[in-house]
Amino acid sequence: MKKPSEAVLLLLLLFFTPHAKGTRFSPPGKPALTRCRSPEKETFTCWWEPGPDGGLTTTYALYYRKENSEAVYECPDYHTAGENSCFFNKNDTSIWVNYNITVVATNTLGSTFSDPVDIDVVYIVKPNPPEKLTVTVMEDKGWPFLRVSWEPPHKADTRSGWITLIYELRVKLEGEDDWEMHLAGQQKTFNIFSLRSGGTYHVQVRCKPDHGFWSEWSSTSYIKVPDYFHREKSAWILIMVFTAFIFLILTWLLHMNSHSLKHCILPPVPGPKIRGFDEKLLKNGKSEDIFSALVVSGFPPTMSSNCEDLLVEYLEVYVPDEHELMLEEGKDLHDHCLKSEGSTSDNDSGRGSCDSHTLLMDKCGEAKEQGRQTEQEERPVETQRHQKEWNEDTLPYAHEDTVSPDMSSGRVKTWPSVFCPLPQYSSSPPNHTSSLEIAKQHCLSDSLFPPGSTSSYLTHPGHSTKETLGPSRWEFSLSNKQPRSLHPQMQTRQQLQARSDINLSNVGCEQAPVGLLPPTARPTEYVEVQRVNEEDMVLLKPVASGRGCGDGCPRLRQAEDYSKVKGVNSDHTLLLQREVMGEEAERCPCQDQETNGETDSCITSSTVTTTQKPPACNYTAAAVQDKMAPTVSGYVDTASIFTLPTY
Amino acid sequence: MNSMTGTVAWRAVWAALLWPCLLTAAMPLDCTEEQGSLYRCPSISQEKLLDRVIQHAELIYRVSEESCAMFEEMFVPFPLRLQRNQAGYSCITKALPIPSSKSEIQHISDKWLLHSVLMLVQSWIEPLVYLQTTLDRYENAPDMLLNKTKWVSDKLISLEQGVVVLIRKMLDEGMLTTTYNEHGLFQYDALPDMLESVMRDYTLISCFKKDAHKMEVFLKLLKCRQSDNYNCA
Repeated sequence: MKKPSEAVLLLLLLFFTPHAKGTRFSPPGKPALTRCRSPEKETFTCWWEPGPDGGLTTTYALYYRKENSEAVYECPDYHTAGENSCFFNKNDTSIWVNYNITVVATNTLGSTFSDPVDIDVVYIVKPNPPEKLTVTVMEDKGWPFLRVSWEPPHKADTRSGWITLIYELRVKLEGEDDWEMHLAGQQKTFNIFSLRSGGTYHVQVRCKPDHGFWSEWSSTSYIKVPDYFHREKSAWILIMVFTAFIFLILTWLLHMNSHSLKHCILPPVPGPKIRGFDEKLLKNGKSEDIFSALVVSGFPPTMSSNCEDLLVEYLEVYVPDEHELMLEEGKDLHDHCLKSEGSTSDNDSGRGSCDSHTLLMDKCGEAKEQGRQTEQEERPVETQRHQKEWNEDTLPYAHEDTVSPDMSSGRVKTWPSVFCPLPQYSSSPPNHTSSLEIAKQHCLSDSLFPPGSTSSYLTHPGHSTKETLGPSRWEFSLSNKQPRSLHPQMQTRQQLQARSDINLSNVGCEQAPVGLLPPTARPTEYVEVQRVNEEDMVLLKPVASGRGCGDGCPRLRQAEDYSKVKGVNSDHTLLLQREVMGEEAERCPCQDQETNGETDSCITSSTVTTTQKPPACNYTAAAVQDKMAPTVSGYVDTASIFTLPTY
Repeated sequence: MNSMTGTVAWRAVWAALLWPCLLTAAMPLDCTEEQGSLYRCPSISQEKLLDRVIQHAELIYRVSEESCAMFEEMFVPFPLRLQRNQAGYSCITKALPIPSSKSEIQHISDKWLLHSVLMLVQSWIEPLVYLQTTLDRYENAPDMLLNKTKWVSDKLISLEQGVVVLIRKMLDEGMLTTTYNEHGLFQYDALPDMLESVMRDYTLISCFKKDAHKMEVFLKLLKCRQSDNYNCA
């Protein structure tokens, strides 16, 4: 511990004795070489920093030694590069050897050597800044940009490749502090984009050799960018304005239609409500009143006739061969009917609409239109002739035709098929090939001869049988229109069937009315369908003695011509009511069917291919089973009639 | 703590006393290229030197090629343009013991390569100076041509220095101050005919161009041998 301190004291004494002497003079302080630079790799300069001079005039000398050589040379030029510098010219500069340089400060008291420095000229190159910096504003598709160009320092020999320089430039807006740097490589031009319109830019450039130092920044070049309108911005402004405008319009529209929109989006939920049901009455506690309000007159049908009608009575008629065949085919028919139903498209979707009168009305109206014309034409004539024909072949067709108005359209309507598939109805002519025909046949037979179709129908109410007679005529007339198109296939069968049916129906008719008809049994009257008026009423005209009146007949007993289709009974017979002044025509269901058939035929007559008339009758009847129109009253809902033609 | 401070103090004292010694003793042995630092290796490494010499030679050759093309275009009539060595005008360095064929070059040693280069360089210093003077006499010689030739002559001198240093480094030979062909190779004949004069100058330039290329090739071969001795052509 003591030793070091003693040594320190000794040193201090040594150093400070000169001072202690009282003189301010001392040998010069040690100079230091600050830097050596070569601007072009052909010459170089070294600068030094003089130390404290010690109070006396001090001279500085620079000595250098070349690599591996002991010869010491003194700086050839002290003045070119300024104070405290040494300039080595081209002859003294060699890139092949290192220089060992020392600066010596000398004054009267002594000299001090600086630390030596080794110099490799190649590595101390710091070029002069680039020259002739020019900046111009140029345009690229409406967008301005700056083009900066410069030249290398004139001393640097870049042309021969002696020095290779890379450049760097920096840009800033006037007033800002941050420079934007761009490295330009070895090229001497550069483009600057993304300018601010109307701004003033400061540009500077500098260079550097491969191995060396960056030069100083060149003098600043100023450039002002002219104002230009931001096209992009203007486009965006337009778009925004347009969008806002559309938005306003939409809002206004929404406001106007807010109510309807509300309905659309949030439809009002129907609360449970029973028509005629007054909640207040409930509160009052008078149940009688409440329930009385609920009672709908006429529903359920309380009349005995209705009840009877509701009963499905089938008149079973035993017909050998044909019936059995029909039975067999009936099943097929059933299927066919079903199929046909499914295949055809019906606006009404078939079954359900049967129940609604209005729908029936609509449908029938359509058929009626068609039927009227045909009806008027043929009715009178048909009855006579067709009796025979009917027996032969037309009957089934006719019925079919009438039944299916859409035969005109060439399609098999589903309507008939709806009613067809009653299991009992197997009375389809055996020869049927087409489903339509089968259906027709089936239906036809069913409609016409509800009882007679199969044995199962044995119990068919008499009215049906009755109808057969009637409808036969109707059918004739009607069939007249269509028959041509009908297939003659079934003729024989049909004939047989028809006859048998007729017979049966006749029989049945006799019987049926007993069951179905109201207490008042009346003789069957043959009624011809005169026409269908606007009110969807089938105008029936009674025919005397089962024979068609002929041409002149249609107008007989006009007063009795008005018949209303009351409904279709369970036998698939259309119950007609003939409105006659004071006279009530009690029609067998057969008649109803006839009318139905007629209407159908009327409608279908126009068309060649109508086929399903009788089924229509049946169909309607089947559909409207619940609506048994009492034959007694004779009122038949026209709607039910019209159901037939609609399909 | 006291012991620590004590040792530190002793070291500081000795350092202060002995600082002059530090100057001479503390020489970095390995050379690192530190830019900005004033303390460099005492000597340039051999590889670096060779690279610089090669670069030098490349530049000289390139510039000489440019000058030759320029001269030919300006002064030499088309039919007389030299495509190959012609008997009329031979290069001044023809007499030098320089390997000329590829096989010779492959068998020559490094030492001889270097010496060949040195010979070439030294033999061309004077003719180039002469060329400069003659070109000045031309009426419409472009400045660029003159600059180029001057540049070449300057660089050639520098190259000579470099090769000398390289020889010294690589071959550990002493400085060769004497040139092989100080005299005798070149005569300053003043030819009366302009065309003759032009042709002579043209020959001079083209010969120099070839020799510069030779120098470059030798040096590059030398470098190749330094790195990979078996794959050099």
